Amino acid sequence: MKKRFNFTSKNLLVVMVIVCIALILATMTSKLVMKPLRDGTGFIVAPFQNSVNRIGGWLSDQFSGFQDVQKLSKENKDLRAQIDELTTKNNALVQQQSELDRLESLYQLDKEYPQYSKVGAEVISKDPGNWYSTFVVNKGTADGIKVNMNVIAQGGLIGIVTEVGRNWAQVRSIIDDDSNISAMAQSTSEPCIVTGNLLSMDSGKIDFSGLRDKDNAVIEGASIVTSNISDKYLTGLLVGYVSDISMDSNNLTKSGTIIPVANFRSLREVLIITDLKQTKENSK
Amino acid sequence: MKRKFIILLILWIFFILQTTVLHMVPALSATPNLLLILTVSIAFMQGQKEGMMTGFIAGLLSDLFYSQVLGLTALIFLLIGYFCGFFAHIYFDDDIKVPLLLVGTADLTYNLLVYVFRFLLNGHTNFGGYLSSIILPDVISTLIFTLLLYRLLYLINHSLVEKEKKGRQSLWIRD
Repeated sequence: MKKRFNFTSKNLLVVMVIVCIALILATMTSKLVMKPLRDGTGFIVAPFQNSVNRIGGWLSDQFSGFQDVQKLSKENKDLRAQIDELTTKNNALVQQQSELDRLESLYQLDKEYPQYSKVGAEVISKDPGNWYSTFVVNKGTADGIKVNMNVIAQGGLIGIVTEVGRNWAQVRSIIDDDSNISAMAQSTSEPCIVTGNLLSMDSGKIDFSGLRDKDNAVIEGASIVTSNISDKYLTGLLVGYVSDISMDSNNLTKSGTIIPVANFRSLREVLIITDLKQTKENSK
Repeated sequence: MKRKFIILLILWIFFILQTTVLHMVPALSATPNLLLILTVSIAFMQGQKEGMMTGFIAGLLSDLFYSQVLGLTALIFLLIGYFCGFFAHIYFDDDIKVPLLLVGTADLTYNLLVYVFRFLLNGHTNFGGYLSSIILPDVISTLIFTLLLYRLLYLINHSLVEKEKKGRQSLWIRD
């Protein structure tokens, strides 16, 4: 058998190199030649590769499955910690976002009443109850807050400062039972009185009464604003919209209910108008 | 004849292992080049002609499956077999230092040639990246597997040679 390879290894090298180069050139010039050869070797190799692969894959699965338990539990722990961290961060972001929204609406309100100078304040405490009717804000005399200053938020009148400390002020909201506002219908300028009502507070409404309206001009949805003849409230602040209206028994005036523009349940930031209504006393 | 058949069988097994399960070993960052280990070992243990033929068949096999150009790997492996065959005359025991050196050099050369022919000529000039992410891991894992496999190949070869010696009563079984 050995006798067949009579030529030296150098000869064999030359022959084989030529074979290789011939193969390279052949495959570079046309690919078709290779297909049957590839198919043939595929036939003797691919099925075995397939089964060995499966066995190997199964073994590897067993092995790594065993190994993975520890890794997974550690990963699980890490991920849980990460979830906690991200949840906290997300909560903070959501809070910041809603704060931004509120501040933006407050900024809009600030632009709606450009004639007044205002101080922003945060509600820091409130009367316990479903809807509070008085609350405390975090600005006081140190910021120039005085009693009887008007408080606005969310597009309309909220209330009036009733007491003031150095760095706090108590605000009585317009839905409070004690609140009486001299107001008027914006369309007819006819005066009326808006009063808070403990009973209608739950349905989110306050009362108005004493409105003269011969021509039936004030209808549902009409705006009620603070009156020019009020001695505490600045003129033209939006109080709310008429919800229902009916003739009084005296056949002269009308009364009904108003839906305030502001949502008192969700008050967070308010604007305090630092201009006081000009009256006979303080204009001297 | 039996010896050639067994070498072919080992080659075939190595090829299947190299193309299948060795990819799955998680500790290996690169698949070891078992065919190269075989070629170098055969050339070192049995001489140039055996080394050349083993290298040629091994290279052709991988070319057939994983290369667009048939014959390039075959040529490189052929030359590796030829040059490693020069060291066959210093082979006499199961000393592993020389085969390790040969396998390391051969694998490095092989990878460099593959890089030059298949990547550099295609315009991939980032040699440092290829060296550290592909070539060196390949060389290292191939060396590790040489440590594991050379001893086995040595034992197989030894027993085959012993049998042939007995069968033919000849001392000159090595070409």
